[in-house]
Amino acid sequence: MSKVVDAYNAGQGKDDGVDVELTLLSRQDTFSKEAALMASKSSDVDIYFTASYNIGQFAPSLEPLTDIDTSAYFPVAAEGLTYEDELYALPLDVSNHFLLYRKDLVDALLSDPAAQAEYETVSESVLGEKRAPKDPAEWDLDDFKVAAAYFSKSENPDSPTEYGTILQAKNLLYNTMIWNDVLWGYGGNWEEDGQAALTSDAAKKAVELYADIYENGWTSPDSAQAEFPETQAALQSGDTAFAIQWSAAFAALNDPAQSPDVAGKIAIAPVPGGKTHVHALAVSLNKYSENKAAAKKFLSFLASTDAMTQYAEAGGIPPMPEVLEAQAAVNPAFAQVSKTIDENGFSEPVFPQTFQAYSKLAEDLSGAWVGQTDVDDALETANANLQELLG
Amino acid sequence: MPSTVVERPRSTATERRKRTTAALILSLPLILFAAVFVIYPLASGALTAFQSSTLLDQSNEPNGIDNFISLFRSDGFAKAAGFTVGFSAVVVVIEMVLGFALALLMNRAFPGKKLFFTLLLLPIMVAPALLGVMFRLLLNGDIGALPALLDSVGLSVSLFSPDSVIPLLVVLDVLQWTPFTFLIIYAGLQSFPKELLEASAMDGAGYVRSLTSVIVPVLKPVLFAAFFLRAIDAIRTFDVIYVLTAGGPGTSTTTLSIYIYKTAFESGDFGKAAAAALVVLVCLIPFVPFIVRRISSTGMEAKK
Repeated sequence: MSKVVDAYNAGQGKDDGVDVELTLLSRQDTFSKEAALMASKSSDVDIYFTASYNIGQFAPSLEPLTDIDTSAYFPVAAEGLTYEDELYALPLDVSNHFLLYRKDLVDALLSDPAAQAEYETVSESVLGEKRAPKDPAEWDLDDFKVAAAYFSKSENPDSPTEYGTILQAKNLLYNTMIWNDVLWGYGGNWEEDGQAALTSDAAKKAVELYADIYENGWTSPDSAQAEFPETQAALQSGDTAFAIQWSAAFAALNDPAQSPDVAGKIAIAPVPGGKTHVHALAVSLNKYSENKAAAKKFLSFLASTDAMTQYAEAGGIPPMPEVLEAQAAVNPAFAQVSKTIDENGFSEPVFPQTFQAYSKLAEDLSGAWVGQTDVDDALETANANLQELLG
Repeated sequence: MPSTVVERPRSTATERRKRTTAALILSLPLILFAAVFVIYPLASGALTAFQSSTLLDQSNEPNGIDNFISLFRSDGFAKAAGFTVGFSAVVVVIEMVLGFALALLMNRAFPGKKLFFTLLLLPIMVAPALLGVMFRLLLNGDIGALPALLDSVGLSVSLFSPDSVIPLLVVLDVLQWTPFTFLIIYAGLQSFPKELLEASAMDGAGYVRSLTSVIVPVLKPVLFAAFFLRAIDAIRTFDVIYVLTAGGPGTSTTTLSIYIYKTAFESGDFGKAAAAALVVLVCLIPFVPFIVRRISSTGMEAKK
């Protein structure tokens, strides 16, 4: 983002008579600081960093963006930033999930009859039925489970990796987003007709998948405290064969400087189950800003394909399919991001308490994900808390 | 021989007034500082506890004791309080014992003492949040140095698994804060009257007897001060635990500070968070005069 701001200040900003200053904090610190500023109706900041998951909560402190043409964005990105029929934020960066896997290991499995036979034996033990190994692009969540077992030394002593996968099971709202892929993949949802729906069979299966993988040692025991960096570390070290991970992770895993042990061996596939959470990181106009006209000029610049091209070149993932496709050389994941969001992306419910719901679900379910609390009890609690938040 | 008593002339009312005025003027910076940085935030926080103050409802309308009712109805606050008290009790006791032992050790001369002293103090020089990030890297099962070291000697330990995460947090807290108790107790030992030890030695007391009958009683005020300061700090624990576990799995490692932070900045419920902070403050206040009195009285006893 700082590169885009520098480019604006050096170019169009001079014509607009606007100079943008950027304050960068960590994601959590940014939202905490913004919450404090919003609570005090501060005008210190003209533009807030926001995201799909907190737009409902932040909306009372934001100015709706009425003049933005959203046709160039992924519809799901713009929808996620729309609250009560008003667009409250300009999409800046799109985030979704993929299955990142060791292509060399999967290829070896698919080309070795002995390994395939072993895989089928593991499958029978895990699922009660024989399943042949498949290309990860065709996996459902049962294939995910069997492969997690097959690539774990606890189940298969000949496994080339210590663990099949790594679960992001820390009590963190961003981990709820990843678990949601599993929930949606099993056909579940947070709510049906305004009523919390976390006591469904799909929700139970989704928690049980995590708990089974954790309790059987098909993921590192440390995954109880894992999130994005730990997942990267597990894949980079070569200890783990695959993981559901954020799209932003792919480039680093195939960069020989950052991931010397696995670069060139990591491939990308849709999340098993066929669903990926999509949210957009965004920027919004502070309702109490004293420089709204100037801020709008900068926001208009950010909404242009030129600005988003600069953003892509600087390492971001802009939410414009046209830009992603044109910049495929910058990041090999761009084409997959575009296709997957279009075909598999789901935008989660937007309501005033969405942000709290993510946090509460992480709090209520993270113990069950790692077998520390009973699955049914955890889901009952989560359902009751979600119902309260849905109102 | 008649004694000579020099009587100070009695100060006049004008002089007393002048002294009072001078005292007030000299105290003014401190009073202003306290008003701006202590009294105002405290009063504002207390007021917020009785208001509806959320990101969705910024009306700040008074809502009586609704925030407190909501607080006590949620089991999160009680769980966080339970964990905080248990965690604090365990770490403070261990840190006091280790701090005292290290202070006794360092009170003697031995080769490499200066280097050991420096190394011992290093953990309290590092910001707790930074230490949390450092531990997150050092203890990571895939890329961390410590698990690799343990693995090389045949010990495969998962430090972040639910069974080991609470003991791990205790160890990390002890590692970081034992130097603090050590430093206070060591300062006390440095000013310890050596004649007392010489006298007890002449009376034939051994080291253990001297320790229990002379050193500990004389150091009581220092030990209380170290205990009190550390206990207050332990109850406020946030950084390392938040960075490593974010209060989980579930809420098993959620401290009161993490609960208050999440209530305010994740749930956006500033009124409820302020109510929780006020409850913690009110629960702690009664201990302050007791401990101050205890420190003062043991100080007096020591002087006797």
